[in-house]
Amino acid sequence: MKELAEIWSELLGLPPGEIPHDVGFLRLGGDSVLAVRMSALVRKRLGVALALSDVRVETTLDDLAELVRRHTSGGAPATRALPLTVTPRPDPHAEFPLLPLQQGYFVGQQDGWELSYDSAHYYLDYALTGVDGDEAADALADAVGRLATHQPTLRARVTPDGRQHVLPADAPGAVPQVRVYDLREAGPAEIATALRDVRQEMSTSGPDPTRGPGIDVRLTLLPGDEGRLHLGLSLLIFDGWSSSVLSRDLLAFVADWNAALPPLDIHFGDYVTSLADLPATEAWQADRDWWWSRLDTLPGPPALPLAADPQEVRPVTMGNREHRWRAESWAALRRQCTDRGVTPSTAMLTAFGVVLARWAGHRRMLLNSLQLNRLPIHPEVQRVVGAFAATMLLPLDLAAEATFAELAATVQATSGEHAAHNLITGVEVGREVARRRGSWRPVGPVVFQSVLGVDAAMGGGPPEEAGPLGRVVASDYFHQLRTPQVAIEVRCFELGPEMVAVFSLVEELFDTDQVTAAFAEFVALVDALADGSGWDRLPGLPEETEPGPASGLRLGLLPEPAVRHREGPPADDMEQAVADVFEELLEVPVLDRAADFFGLGGDSLLAVRAVVRLAKEAGVSVPVREFLSDSTVAGVAAVVRSRLGDQR
Amino acid sequence: MIGILGATGAVGRTAAQRIAAYGLGPLRVGGRNLTRAADLASSLPAPAHAVRADLNDPAELAAFCDGCRIVVSCAGPTYQVLDTVARAAFAAGADYVDIGGELAAKDALTGEGVAGDRTAVFSAGVMPGLSGLLPRLLAKGRPLRRLDVYVGGAAVFTPLSAVDALLTRGPRFGEPMAAWREGRVAPGTLAPLHQVRLPGFPVPVHAWPYLTTEAQTLATDTGADEVRSYNVFVSNRLPEALAATWAEVPDARPETLAPHAETVVRASLRDNADFGAFYVMLFTARPRPGAPPGPTRVLLTAVDSYALSGVVMALATRAVLSGSVPAGVHLAAEVLDPDATASALRKDVLVEGLTVE
Ligand SMILES: NC(=O)c1ccc[n+]([C@@H]2O[C@H](COP(=O)([O-])OP(=O)(O)OC[C@H]3O[C@@H](n4cnc5c(N)ncnc54)[C@H](OP(=O)(O)O)[C@@H]3O)[C@@H](O)[C@H]2O)c1
Repeated sequence: MKELAEIWSELLGLPPGEIPHDVGFLRLGGDSVLAVRMSALVRKRLGVALALSDVRVETTLDDLAELVRRHTSGGAPATRALPLTVTPRPDPHAEFPLLPLQQGYFVGQQDGWELSYDSAHYYLDYALTGVDGDEAADALADAVGRLATHQPTLRARVTPDGRQHVLPADAPGAVPQVRVYDLREAGPAEIATALRDVRQEMSTSGPDPTRGPGIDVRLTLLPGDEGRLHLGLSLLIFDGWSSSVLSRDLLAFVADWNAALPPLDIHFGDYVTSLADLPATEAWQADRDWWWSRLDTLPGPPALPLAADPQEVRPVTMGNREHRWRAESWAALRRQCTDRGVTPSTAMLTAFGVVLARWAGHRRMLLNSLQLNRLPIHPEVQRVVGAFAATMLLPLDLAAEATFAELAATVQATSGEHAAHNLITGVEVGREVARRRGSWRPVGPVVFQSVLGVDAAMGGGPPEEAGPLGRVVASDYFHQLRTPQVAIEVRCFELGPEMVAVFSLVEELFDTDQVTAAFAEFVALVDALADGSGWDRLPGLPEETEPGPASGLRLGLLPEPAVRHREGPPADDMEQAVADVFEELLEVPVLDRAADFFGLGGDSLLAVRAVVRLAKEAGVSVPVREFLSDSTVAGVAAVVRSRLGDQR
Repeated sequence: MIGILGATGAVGRTAAQRIAAYGLGPLRVGGRNLTRAADLASSLPAPAHAVRADLNDPAELAAFCDGCRIVVSCAGPTYQVLDTVARAAFAAGADYVDIGGELAAKDALTGEGVAGDRTAVFSAGVMPGLSGLLPRLLAKGRPLRRLDVYVGGAAVFTPLSAVDALLTRGPRFGEPMAAWREGRVAPGTLAPLHQVRLPGFPVPVHAWPYLTTEAQTLATDTGADEVRSYNVFVSNRLPEALAATWAEVPDARPETLAPHAETVVRASLRDNADFGAFYVMLFTARPRPGAPPGPTRVLLTAVDSYALSGVVMALATRAVLSGSVPAGVHLAAEVLDPDATASALRKDVLVEGLTVE
């Protein structure tokens, strides 16, 4: 009990003696991110691997002590314990598979899905003051070099057939190079142009880990000892948590030539490799059964009115609507949430759900939520960078006659219950849903992402002093995100003492006025939660549970291209060649021209491999998107044939 | 006179019915149970009389064969009977057709003291039998890169066929997990397929690689570069029941295996309860690049594989009687005419569908 109280005291910033034993973690200021951190600390200090579902925000210190006691006395239900251990791989440069969300991004990068881009990446730049213009560039380059030793994932590459590996530190091009724009002598107009150009470039073409590093670091030196640090991060290599870890590590190295961070024993590849044993565990099988039993009753996404069919648009960047809540409002919102027994993330999620329900005209809908998903199977998991994140499909069923507070309580319970089965991730669930529905449209194109609480989990906000780089002015930033298969997403994060929420969306899909109205409604609702007035009101939800008959284009109710091929043996050598490629990759007999790649057990990553193989065998490259739009033997053969025709 | 031994069995009943219906001649039907044989005889659409005959009683067997133009045996277990009935038939100057036997029986009948002018056809059933015959529709001199055989479904095993299934073991019958590659058996090259969808099969199935000697001959005869042959089951119950018995009973003697037949029958009953009865024979060919065009798939579907075997027995009998089978000892797959057999099968009501495309 004493150790547990100490862990809580560290995480919550309270003296150990003052932690009441019967008050939930959340009420004491914890949140879901800290809860994950807590389970990692419990594992590290007490050697007890708590089940993921055990550690909830509602858990009290007494509950936790009881859990730990049951685990140590062997009385805990064995089903949720994860018998996985992470150890360094004998060959740190060996290839390892992509995790499911990485696979999704990878396939997106091959233009595999509707709503995809050449690169899935996050771009961020922020202001620096007091820059030592003569030292900064060298210091930054040196820091990136040291960072690439400390976090080998900076040297990660993805192979054309969708695997990943880490280059040795001395391999040519392994260490990311820093680019510097010296505008110290430039005038305002030139600076504005240069800044616009670099933002345009880094927003629209992100680092591509199939060709080079997954990170792009640049520095602009400006007059008056000012500057800007530009970061492009491939989502294939780094998740949201990683970008925070990276910034911190990088600034620590820049600030001090001699800085030495506590060394890491394991890296992303070790973690991924250990997950290979996951499907053999009872916990994994229980989660799969849990999800699979729900698949057929999962709702569709909110039926938002669309201005265009997602299949028809070719977006280059996503549009943003952004709002910042000042420190006082954000603090007030946190207090209100604590009083109501929900996390700020839950409040934002519920608010998003309410806005979507009113926009779409119905109350039951499927959202896709981005989760940190670092399984606490090694104490260092939180300090390592990599693409650990996963999506989670989350059905919302908002009651028509409930107050916001009641809705939020239900949403919190639902999302807690779903998050407790996180060994099967949203990408995997989505694949199975698509297989069952026979639809290849994205299953969860409406995304919720909140990293509220990450700063606290990392032990305070990011450092501001960066040696020769000067001081970080975090509030002066510009950012841009491109995630494939997303129509619209909300992101909530903290910026120092403030909170920010951004709607990122494919502008081509929506009516601009509707987006503007929905965002204004969202902001007003969050304001009302912060001032306390919004909780006991009925949010005015539509009567309908499910979307009514579609009038015009609506998300989730889009026409499915009906491809039907006559069944029969492959009709010619080309169809047979395609069947042979399918067979080799799927390791099942492929005997019918109407057999579908996914119906036979394929997934999108294997589809990319099939495309690579077809290019080799038939000498023609089939666009992944065309492969996916009709993935039968006959359909793929038809594409190959028409491409061959084009070549001649 | 056409003598049909085992005419009251699952296979024999249909064989006798079809032989009578083809009008091939008067019938003598036999088995150990005379009453049942007599009942059957009276139901046939041709002159028929019943005779008691136990194939293990040499005198009864000789008497049964005496005066027959051809003897047709649907009794078993055929891998124990081997050449017993055939020799009696030859001794009586009759030709012979057997539901099973395979290489073991064929070899037993070859050699000294065998009348050289008579004809015997073994393995004139569904598998072995049609399984080695129908794929020949896909080759016909065309060089094949690969030939696949998928045969099976959900059928209740009779105790006799369960014993035969248990006896089907060892290199004289086939090699599990092997494929035929470039002129030889390539051991351990295939793995069982679980829950796969195969054309013609109504449910996802489990397919166990088993390169029968029949498939090996097929490979040699067609010159295919690769042959894969699978026994198809609706669940893993039967493969598990068979494997469990083989693990417990190391030798392959009918007496020691017979008590275990019950387990196999029970497994097949449970499959049948879950999936009903169906039987599918699927053969697919991949011609070598540049080979002349031609069919690449044969698909036969039926409900009852025993009755279907009876039809094949009748067709083999008709072929022998019509003189289209040369003298000597043969396996049905190697000596029947694939096209003629296919068109006859297509006309039979017991065949749900037979497509060559
Ligand atoms: N190649 C294939 O595809 C295929 C397919 C199905 C079956 N089979 C084989 O065909 C054989 C028969 O199977 P089934 O399912 O028809 O069996 P079944 O229903 O038990 O019939 C056996 C028949 O043989 C007779 N019989 C049994 N022992 C005899 C003996 N000692 N002397 C004379 N007659 C005897 C039985 O009559 P009594 O009891 O009155 O003697 C009965 O008429 C089995 O060996 C089986 O493996 C082969």
